[in-house]
This record gives sequence, C-alpha cells and structure tokens, in this order.
Amino acid sequence: MGAEQKTDFPMTSAPMTPAPMTPAPMMPAPMTPAVEFHAVTRHFGTAAKPVRAVDGVDLTIAEGAFFAMLGPSGSGKTTCLRLISGFDAPTSGVVRIFGQDVSHTPPHLRNVNTVFQDYALFPHLNVRDNVAYGLMVKGVGKSQRYARADEMLSVVKLADYGSRKPGQLSGGQRQRVALARALVNEPRVLLLDEPLGALDLKLREAMQDELKSLQKRLGITFIFVTHDQNEALSMADSLAVFNEGKIAQIGTPEQIYTQPRTRFVADFVGSSNVLPPALTTQLGGPAQWSSLRPEALRLSADGPIEATVTALRYLGSGTRVALTTNGTELAAFLPAGQPLPEPGTTARFTFDPSALHLMAAT
Amino acid sequence: MTPAIFPARTIADHLTTLFWRHPRLLLALMVAPPLLWLGVIYLGSLAALLLQSFYAIDEFSGMVKEELTLKTYGELFRTQNLDIILRTLIMSAAVTLACAVLAFPVAYYAARYAKGRWKAAFYLGVMLPLWSSYLVKVYAWKLILAKEGILTWAAESTGTSFLINGLLSIPGLEGSSLSTSPAGTFLVFVYIWLPYMILPLQASLERVPTSMLEASADLGATRAQTFRTVILPLAMPGVIAGSIFTFSLTMGDYIIPQIIGNSANFIGMAVYQFQGTAGNIPLAAAFAVVPILIMLVYLTLAKRAGAFDAL
Repeated sequence: MGAEQKTDFPMTSAPMTPAPMTPAPMMPAPMTPAVEFHAVTRHFGTAAKPVRAVDGVDLTIAEGAFFAMLGPSGSGKTTCLRLISGFDAPTSGVVRIFGQDVSHTPPHLRNVNTVFQDYALFPHLNVRDNVAYGLMVKGVGKSQRYARADEMLSVVKLADYGSRKPGQLSGGQRQRVALARALVNEPRVLLLDEPLGALDLKLREAMQDELKSLQKRLGITFIFVTHDQNEALSMADSLAVFNEGKIAQIGTPEQIYTQPRTRFVADFVGSSNVLPPALTTQLGGPAQWSSLRPEALRLSADGPIEATVTALRYLGSGTRVALTTNGTELAAFLPAGQPLPEPGTTARFTFDPSALHLMAAT
Repeated sequence: MTPAIFPARTIADHLTTLFWRHPRLLLALMVAPPLLWLGVIYLGSLAALLLQSFYAIDEFSGMVKEELTLKTYGELFRTQNLDIILRTLIMSAAVTLACAVLAFPVAYYAARYAKGRWKAAFYLGVMLPLWSSYLVKVYAWKLILAKEGILTWAAESTGTSFLINGLLSIPGLEGSSLSTSPAGTFLVFVYIWLPYMILPLQASLERVPTSMLEASADLGATRAQTFRTVILPLAMPGVIAGSIFTFSLTMGDYIIPQIIGNSANFIGMAVYQFQGTAGNIPLAAAFAVVPILIMLVYLTLAKRAGAFDAL
C-alpha cells in the first residue's frame, strides 16, 4: 500500500504562490469594496527603531461580508481595526472605505462604528442616552433620537432597560447596549473588537448566533477582531490570519482550516498536526512541511505511521489520542465507538492521502 | 524528614489564629484609635463650637451668658458682618473657578499623556510648592506684587503697565499696587490652593478609560462635544473634591487677606479677631459655622446637578 501511495499521491491544491488577496466574496457582481488596504504600514516607536505593528498589508473586504481578523496578540489585527475606525493613521499606504481615501480622516467624520472590547459605555448616562449618544451629537431632536434608541434597544432585546445605568447590567446586556449604540447610527461598516472576549462560554455561543443573524438581517459589513480561532471560523464568511504585522492567509473558513498556506496558519488555526519535511517524505510526499487533520488519522494494522501512544483525552464525541513518531508529536481524533489503543503501546495509523496538505515553511 | 502538619504553636501563632478566626476584631483594633480621635476630639470640638454659637455675650459685662439664644446669629445679619460673609463667599467662588480652569489642562495632560519621567516631573512640580512654608510663599508674593516689586518692574520695562493699572482701576479692585488690591489677594489664593485642585482632578481624569473618548469620537462627537458630554461629567467628582479644598480653604484662611490686599475683613479674620482681641467667642463661633453651612449648601446643589452621577 505504501508503494502505491508514493506513485499517485493526490495532493490537495497547495497554493505556494500567494493566494488571491480577495476573499471569495459572496456578492454576485463586482462593486466598490467596503474596506481596502493598499500597502498599509503602521510603525510605532522611533524612526530609527520602528516597531512594525502593521507591515505592508493589502486587504479587500467586500460589502456585506462578515469578515474576521484572526491572530495572536501583537499580530497587528487590532491596529488594522483602529486604522479603519480612524483611531490610528497609517505610517504609509492608503486605507479606503467605499472607495474614499480615509487614511487621515478623523474618526468622527467616518461612517463606521465600533463595538469596543470593554464596551466603553458611558457610566454617567443611562442605557437610552448611551444608545442615543451618536444621534445626540449629530443634533437629532430628543423625541426622535429616543424613539430610534428604543427601537434599536428592542432589536437587541433590551426594550425595557432604557432607563437603567450601564453599571446595573450584566456583561451580555452591556455588549448588546454597545451593539445598539453603534448600530443606531446606521453605519455601513461595523467594527467589533474582540466582541465576545469578556463573556462566558454559554453566552458567547448564543451571541455568536445572534451576531450572525443580525448581520444577515441588516446587511451591514461586519469586521471583527479575535484571537479565538473557533470564533473566527464559525462566524466569519471570510477571514484574514495575521502574523507579525502581515497577513499570513486570507480565505473562507474552510480554506483556512483545510488548506493552511503556512506552518503558522496550521499551528494557529485549530489543532492540525504539522509535519516536518522528513516526516512528509516518509509518508510519500515531497520534502516540504505539511499538515494533517487529527480526524483524518485512523487506526489500521498496516498503516504507514507507526507511533507511540502517549495519552488519551476523552472528548465526548470521540477521543483525542496523543502520539509521538520519530520525535514529532501528533494527535489523532478517533470517533466514539471505535476501539482505542492503550497508552504506552505502539499503534499504526493510516490516513486518506488527500488529507495531507503541503505548506510553505514560514 | 517530613515537616509536621501542625507545627508547634507559639503565642504569636495563637494571636494570628485569633485574628484569622475573627477578622473584624483586627479591623476594630486598627480603626479604634483614629475613630476615637475623629469622634471625640474632632466632632467633640465641633459640637462645642456649635454650642458656643448659640450663646451670646452680655453687652454690659462682656461676659458669655450660657443661655441658648439665636441672638448671636442675628448679629451675623448686620451690614458689616454680611459684607464679610459676602466678600469671603465671592472670593472663594472666584478662586475655586480660577483653580478649576487652570488645573484642568495640567491635570488632563498629566492623566492622559505624561508617562514615566514626565509623570514624576508633574508630581514634583505640583507638590514642590507644598513643601515650603506657607508664610514664606505669601510674603514672597507680597514682594512680587509690591509697587517696587518684580511684577511692576517687568510691566514697566515691557510697556505693559497699563494692564496692571487698568486692573487696579476696576471698582472694587482698587489699590496702589497688586499687593494692596483684592486682585492680589485673589492671585495669591489661586497660587496657594491650585495643587489641591490639580491632584484630585488628575486622579479622576486618570480613571476615564481612553476607550470612552474613542467611543465618543467613533459615534461622531467632535472634541468639544466629547469634552462637554463625556470628559467633564466623568471628571466632575474630581472637580468637586478639588473645589471642596479650594472653597473651604479660602473661606477659612485669615493670613493671606491680612498680608495681601486692602485689609478688608474675611470670615477667617473675623473669627480670629472676635475670639481674640474682642473676646466675643459666641460671635466667632457663629462666624465659624457659616463656612460649614455654605459647604453643605454647595454640596447639596452639586449633588442635585448630578455631579456625583459618575461615582
């Protein structure tokens, strides 16, 4: 079997050339993108020793997209969001919103609104005044802005909370108020900075669904920043993975998950096994780094991978098996109901060759 | 060797165990002395003061009659006494306002922009004047503001004497120089009490998260709108705290108006004179109650206006 595998190894498409920067848009006709970055950099610190927070980013976000910027802290994703909201200006490059160059436009003159990570609700104003704030500063009359604030509060299911102070609300409720406060201004782009970070797991899952359906209903472009890969994969219809100020990969969640372009993406997004070139060749591939999803591995007496079982972790829907082979740590996910190897023993595994995905080293 | 699970107990261990089991006992032991100080000495003397103000002086013998009466408070309403109260009130309000206006930019800079060494420089700059003697500073100001002083000299050599002369010709501020004009009194009050406004203001501005200012701009507010609708309301507790200092310190001060200005009486000076040379303790006590009442009215009004909403 091993010999056969070597001859006709059906590789998944491995985009060694940079992937097209436009994330597969779900829009039928080409139109002005909601947000564009052209060779944008943002340096902090001195000119002699700059800290490159954003380092040559090109990015196009289609109108109506639910776009995620995913990356570890310090990867530049939040700075990119601040470049869109206007709290920061690029050192070089151009930021466009609906075709208009806004690189040096102050935040209050942009038709984008932000949901802040800490929500940033005004503690001295009640919920209604918080939501109506954007309309108030634009000079909308009291009765009209309160009517629209109440309307928006009922959209986020907080109709009866208008006269409370933010301090009297739970975390999830504050998040909804922050959402209503941004949406009442009818922005064309809504920015969300780690929108669910402060919520507990159950609430977070409920809010994920709610944000998703809200975005569908309103048709506004949502751009959110997160370091949580599950959140990015489950909510976004396209996403950019950031690493050290650069975009490592742009694509749909499925592309990012199944075809990580680099080792970093494979490591960061989810739980994929990253195989060094030596192991890839051993399994019949070329001398390149590759990734293999844990669920692609299954027990087989004559499989090509011989590994020592180091630990089992029961996950309900299945068991995660930790393995080592030739010093490389691997993980296999075996669905419930299948026989399990004993920890400490040696087991052989096989996989569907199409699951082995080749990547760039960096 | 394995250590013992319950090591041998000493008296100290018994004591810590006692405090561990009764945390309130430790708390009580710690707060009792300051509470006694505050309750007995401070509140006690305040009560004695209040009591004194309800006595009156016998006009023939000059002795204090220990009978409760409102006669002394009635004396406060004589024209010359009302003048003293009004003058003190206006001066305190003007000093407080000027301190708030001057302190805001300084406190804002320190809270939002100053980092590391600059922050240390800020604290040093604000506190340094407090390290030197109050009297020295006031006399120094007398020299600065005097007719032969550096300020007049600087004005003459730059041809800006008309500014000082113009100020001194305003009715109510007349004087031969700033050191004998109420304007000089005002200047020195502002200088002396300014740190007491800057520090609480800076503390309250420091608690306003940057994201709140960004949120305001994000929602379309200009800088002026952000200042009026977000920064100022959130800094209000600090402004009030600072104004309690500047307002009450100005109302109670009796040295600055004596050394600088036209020697018109202020509440503090009246208290000093009535309890000393005039020997009219009840009237001095009644005068001393006035600032307390004014502060209570002020704080009530501030609360009504929502100054503490952000607390």
